[in-house]
Amino acid sequence: MALATSQIDFAAIEARERASTKKKWPSVVVAAFVSLIWVVPFYYMLVSIFKTHAEYTANNPLSLPEGFSPIADNAISAWNTAKMGAGFANSAMYGIVGAGLAVFFAAMAAYGLTRISFKRQNFWFMLIFAGTIFPFQIYLIPLFFAYQKIGIINTHFGMLLFYTAVCIPFPVLVLRNYLNGLSREMDEAARMDGASEFRVFWSIILPNCIGPMTATFLLQFTWIWNDLLFSTVLGNREEVRSIMNSLQIFHGSYTTAGPNLTLTAALIASLPAIVLFLLLRRHFMEGMRVTGV
Amino acid sequence: MNFKTKLLSLAFAGLMSASVVSAYAAEVTLVHDKAFWAEALQKVGDAATKATGVPMKQNAYSPPEQYKAYMQSSIAANDPPDIFTWWTGGVYEELIKTGAIAELDDVWAEMIKSGEFSEGVRDFYKVGDHVYGVPLHLSRWIVLYNKADYAKAGISEPKTWAEFVSNAEKLKAAGITPFVATTQDGWRGFIWFEEIMLRTNPEAYMGLHTGKVAYDSEPVRNAFKIWADWYAKGYFSDPRSTEEVADFAKGKGSMNLIGDWAIGLVEKAGMKPGADFDAFIMPNMDAALPSSTILEGGPIMLSKKGLAKPEVVNALKYFVSIDGANVWAAASGNSLGNSKANPPNVIVKKISDDVAAMKTVAFPRWWEAVPADLQGEMVAELNRFMLTPTMETAESVMANTQKLNAAYWAEKQ
Amino acid sequence: MTDRPDRETDLQLMERIGWHQIKAVEDRAMKRNFWKAFAFMSPAIVLVCGLLLMPVVYNIYFSFTKWKKFAGLDEFAGFSNYAKLPGNPYFDTAFYNTAIWVAASVVFPLAIGFGLAVFLRGVAFGNVFKNIIFLPRILAPTAVAVIWFHVYAPHGVLNSLLALVAGQPVDIGWLYQDNTVTPAIIATFVWQSVGLVMVLVLLGLSAIPKDPLEAARVDGATNSQTFWHIVMPLLMPTLVVVTILSVLSGFTTFDLLWVMGVAYPGQRTLSLAVFMYFESFQKGSWAFGSAIAVIIGIVVFSVTWIQTVMQNRVDKMTR
Repeated sequence: MALATSQIDFAAIEARERASTKKKWPSVVVAAFVSLIWVVPFYYMLVSIFKTHAEYTANNPLSLPEGFSPIADNAISAWNTAKMGAGFANSAMYGIVGAGLAVFFAAMAAYGLTRISFKRQNFWFMLIFAGTIFPFQIYLIPLFFAYQKIGIINTHFGMLLFYTAVCIPFPVLVLRNYLNGLSREMDEAARMDGASEFRVFWSIILPNCIGPMTATFLLQFTWIWNDLLFSTVLGNREEVRSIMNSLQIFHGSYTTAGPNLTLTAALIASLPAIVLFLLLRRHFMEGMRVTGV
Repeated sequence: MNFKTKLLSLAFAGLMSASVVSAYAAEVTLVHDKAFWAEALQKVGDAATKATGVPMKQNAYSPPEQYKAYMQSSIAANDPPDIFTWWTGGVYEELIKTGAIAELDDVWAEMIKSGEFSEGVRDFYKVGDHVYGVPLHLSRWIVLYNKADYAKAGISEPKTWAEFVSNAEKLKAAGITPFVATTQDGWRGFIWFEEIMLRTNPEAYMGLHTGKVAYDSEPVRNAFKIWADWYAKGYFSDPRSTEEVADFAKGKGSMNLIGDWAIGLVEKAGMKPGADFDAFIMPNMDAALPSSTILEGGPIMLSKKGLAKPEVVNALKYFVSIDGANVWAAASGNSLGNSKANPPNVIVKKISDDVAAMKTVAFPRWWEAVPADLQGEMVAELNRFMLTPTMETAESVMANTQKLNAAYWAEKQ
Repeated sequence: MTDRPDRETDLQLMERIGWHQIKAVEDRAMKRNFWKAFAFMSPAIVLVCGLLLMPVVYNIYFSFTKWKKFAGLDEFAGFSNYAKLPGNPYFDTAFYNTAIWVAASVVFPLAIGFGLAVFLRGVAFGNVFKNIIFLPRILAPTAVAVIWFHVYAPHGVLNSLLALVAGQPVDIGWLYQDNTVTPAIIATFVWQSVGLVMVLVLLGLSAIPKDPLEAARVDGATNSQTFWHIVMPLLMPTLVVVTILSVLSGFTTFDLLWVMGVAYPGQRTLSLAVFMYFESFQKGSWAFGSAIAVIIGIVVFSVTWIQTVMQNRVDKMTR
């Protein structure tokens, strides 16, 4: 909507840009120098995870490691100290189930909003979309209190419930826009043939929404995976702790973990999102294009 | 389609009730914020399970502030845990005022009758006419010192303030940083402030907590002058370190002023108590004053709901029994004041003997004694001094803390 | 439908059965349709209302009570929680810092991201550089915060690089001092968010049709004339959206401040979001914390409102 870029042909852009590339070496040098600012922290992380604590303390933080073997110790010890296995499983569950349910519910809602005509459609859309306009801080205290009261604080169910809810409004916006642009011929035909609404939704609309659904799913999954705020407030017990929350262990009380360990943990916690991004780069870019996020 | 909706809500309701039901199984869960003692507490729990027949578990919420938030909202929602750890002082009184906390007078009567606990320990947990907690740990705040460093500098345990100061001087001259002190985890800022106040002017130290002594008064300024002077002389290690215990164990400073609960942690970091490090009670500036230490006593408490459950009371009784205290001492290095139980390590034993010989009196820790509402902001101010330890910072720290303090006591009246 | 006489027009039908009946039939169909649609929307509506909108109502309610620590939830406080805000020394600093965040997250990500996009478009190996700059975006903010916490550490990367330049040891506690902590964390925020801005601007640039550019060139326009008179207006919508995105994500940032500010004694003053967390979840001033959350909400609404106004104006300009 904001970016009217739906007809971008990436290959053509690439070709066009390559053709117009200036071969001025000074600007390459400047570019390389500037990108050092982005490279150095990554380089620092990569050398640090191969150091022992003693080695890290004794040398310059940017020095090359003496060997590669400490990484095994670092990884094992980070994994065990922060109980990252549990954090991984929890976050994966929250991310896959939460974002999955959210996108599915959003598709259902978008179907109702675009394929069935009824009064005050806009009101109901705005009601759902209103879930995106408030800052997260405003949810914290009431949720914390209510979760406590009904006994779902620090439970997997409670975490999942919130993550699903918070991930609904945005996909509703995206899928509603998408469905509005999708031809109605097929579903009208199916309806004529006597298919129920649910059947139309399930076997005609859903298969046609796989693209935008994947894109929004990935965005919401990444959001849940990265979330620190809500998992700190609503799920701070070891069994339900998210991966980002378990990273906090190294920052918290009474640990003597060195930067080598903390950085290893940070890298481990980021790996799934990185792998996902590299594998599904196109879908992410697609998501960015349709959403500008 | 309506059917689907129903199905969905049924599934939700089912999931929800499953998670609620599981909380009602017959077991005792000690809720606490001491994640670093989780294993040790579970060891006591396992022993209690064997002794009482009811499974006893522990559940850690960390960090402490998160735990406080949990307790506040659980009491506001009228559903406090049965048995849990807490702190003494202002937060203790606040919690008791809610009316949700059980009186443990009967439990204490038994504990004293058995001859294992003294009335002095009981009174430590008394508010008004009733006792509301039993000790989780009773820790004296002492100075741990590195024996090898002391030998190298040719010094011994100080008996007077002058000796204490000259020890620091000699260590510095020998190229050793005398004191490890950090702002790690954000709560440590009060430690040296409290100790210098106690050593130079115990009366003013106590007055701070009742609003009678201002945070910008002369006794406080005097304490800051000593503290800033020691910083200027390079007596303290880097306050920005995030590993105080390891710093001490690695010899980055040769003395560490800390609660005796840290002995177990130093041991874990590779130093042997008694052989590699030992401890002393810091001497007073005015030799005429009685020997004193800061005493920190973490309580275990019951809610009224918990007191009504016999299995919860039995678990509590087991914890303070001789067996319970022994398991706890071996697992965590903590003493909980049971005089018939084994001392947890040689250093605690030595300090206990010193306390008996010198008739050392106990003072409350600043952390517990300061009004709960001021605790967080004030300790942050004290941390700020440690990070820029000049008299200039001290003046602004004194001004800020006094502003908070004055506003608090004005509202109280 | 089959009982409809042949060749009857809609108008004749309406006359035959009457307008009112038609409307009633239509209404009934609409109502039936509504329930059908509602069945589809219900999971979304129930979850959004129950877990997002209800909490907002409750938060506003809490902000008018005296709830503090264990009690006061049932006592009405009027506006006293709000009245206390301006006098609170930490609130003032937190508000000031939030304002800095708003300003910085308007200017820096956009200026740098835009600059890099334009600059890297023509450079050899541009794609390599673009990918490098986009890289931090893939990392979780918590992980980025952990990395930069150690980059800024007293014996960290930044100080050791500065020591190389200065030729003597540098020992600045970037994340410990009043005057460096906010700029340092903003720099990290910019470091992470510039890549996205750059990519969005690149997408916007490549969507610009070639024809007007060629036409301008034929007419003898200089590069800078083309840029300011053709490229910029076409790019404006993208820039507005990008700005709003980075502003909102900028001053509601929590993760970075929470993790990187952990050692700073004044952490509670780093932003309103952190201050709110401290007051409620650490100090137990629940009602007061709710009031701060409402204030954050008001700031967000003002920014969103400015966005709408700006976007409308831009739309008018470009269409």
